[in-house]
Amino acid sequence: MAERDTMVSIQNLHKVFGRDIYVLRGIELEVKTGEVVVILGPSGSGKSTLLRCINFLEEPTAGTICVDDLTVRAGEKGRERNRRILEIRKKTGMCFQSFNLFPHMTALENIIEGPVTVLGQKPQEAIPYAEELLGWVGLSDKRDEYPARLSGGQQQRVAIARSLAMRPKVMLFDEPTSALDPELVGEVVDVMERLAREGMTIIAVTHEMHFARDVAQRVLIMDNGGWVEEGPPEEIFTNPQHERSRRFLAHIL
Amino acid sequence: MNDPSELPVNEIPPEAQAVLNSIEDTQTRFKRNLAFSLAGLVVFLFFVLYIIGLDFRFMARWLGFIMGGMGYTLLVSVLAITLACILAVLGALGRLSRNPVINSLATAYVSLIRGTPLLVQVYMWYLALPQVGQALERMGIAGAQRWFTLPALVAGILALGVCYGAYMTEIVRAGMQSIGVGQREAAKSLGMNSSQMLRRIIFPQALRVIIPPVSNEFIAMVKDSSLVSLMGVWELSYRAIKIGRRYFQSLEMLVLVALIYWVMCIILQSVQERVEAHMARGDRRTH
Repeated sequence: MAERDTMVSIQNLHKVFGRDIYVLRGIELEVKTGEVVVILGPSGSGKSTLLRCINFLEEPTAGTICVDDLTVRAGEKGRERNRRILEIRKKTGMCFQSFNLFPHMTALENIIEGPVTVLGQKPQEAIPYAEELLGWVGLSDKRDEYPARLSGGQQQRVAIARSLAMRPKVMLFDEPTSALDPELVGEVVDVMERLAREGMTIIAVTHEMHFARDVAQRVLIMDNGGWVEEGPPEEIFTNPQHERSRRFLAHIL
Repeated sequence: MNDPSELPVNEIPPEAQAVLNSIEDTQTRFKRNLAFSLAGLVVFLFFVLYIIGLDFRFMARWLGFIMGGMGYTLLVSVLAITLACILAVLGALGRLSRNPVINSLATAYVSLIRGTPLLVQVYMWYLALPQVGQALERMGIAGAQRWFTLPALVAGILALGVCYGAYMTEIVRAGMQSIGVGQREAAKSLGMNSSQMLRRIIFPQALRVIIPPVSNEFIAMVKDSSLVSLMGVWELSYRAIKIGRRYFQSLEMLVLVALIYWVMCIILQSVQERVEAHMARGDRRTH
């Protein structure tokens, strides 16, 4: 199968909450296959909403979303469209700030849930890869623990493994380390970094400067629902062009 | 800073050990005294019954006959509970449905049934429904009257099941809504459709929340099953009342039947505790 050059493409995306809370104002974004993109910006600027529009956890008010070979336009209706959205979600892994592991399932059960329920695999088929993923995130010994018995960092790593079990083509990270104690951030960032090195396409909203500076190929700064500035991390961090980016970076660096 | 290996982390100091022991002591003492106290209450109850001159021989003589009604009571309870559970899940899905017809049907069901006395509903199924059949028959639907004339047992099961289904609808709905939005989003982001999400993520977690209130309903229903005696079904309470009246020893018979219901509910309660303990397996505190 030929790899597509562009993995995610967003055109003229608008999102309005209620009638007048205008969160995204005509966003354009192209992410290449294997590219690692970090989105920065002050809180409330619309970063999370953008990420959540890509897999339709939020319904875009206007615009077009393309993931791999699937295209969905805002305002389309019908069964066929819903099927395309489900397909997009299968190709898209998402990692949440609050982990959202299923508390009634063990780590392993969480990881095989997608392949078994959504892809229709038998548990025996899904378990070997799930165990491999558990080992890959360094949690083989937590295979049969329930989430309540895991630390935040461990929970987030299981959540990443759960997403990867679907063999997604792109991973969305929505502030994956913001709910973690400082000493647990490293283990999650480390997993994200290895994922990037293995060629995964990643769109991350994160304030982890190390990840943005050393792993990302491109950094975008968002404010008030639009792009302020974008470029390679070294440029953005050393020589920001806009006053708003400068002010924001001064706060977080 | 000290070398961590020098920190005496492996030994709990004796004074801390003493505190741990005393906490444990307090807990065991509480449990023991609670058991004593409960046993004392039961003994006291029987003592009171004894001094008011209860005829225990009479009770023992009729115990077998009254227990003969147990079959009906259990049959009515089990079938009505099953019906109520099915209706509750359907009702809850209806109450949460975005389809206006389904939603209004479920809302009307809950409102109507919760807003009318169970006693009236029992008579509706038993006495009023045949009249509806009669009317339908007159309108030209052949056999309607026969279909709408229900045997007492069936009327009782339907009345109880439909009534408790309405109360339990609200319990199930609240339980489903108590599952956080993050769980739904995680399920959706894996690509689950709504029925997969309900079946795998929402229901299993909601079940845990609703077990205590649903058990409450079960216990209440076992006792309300005595309402079928209104239609002449020879279940537990009907037998007790009949015998009590015939020999003018209602006290003995009512005490006896009350004790039988009590024991049944105690058994149900212990089942509930076991189920709850099983459901709590993802909970931090149980490990």
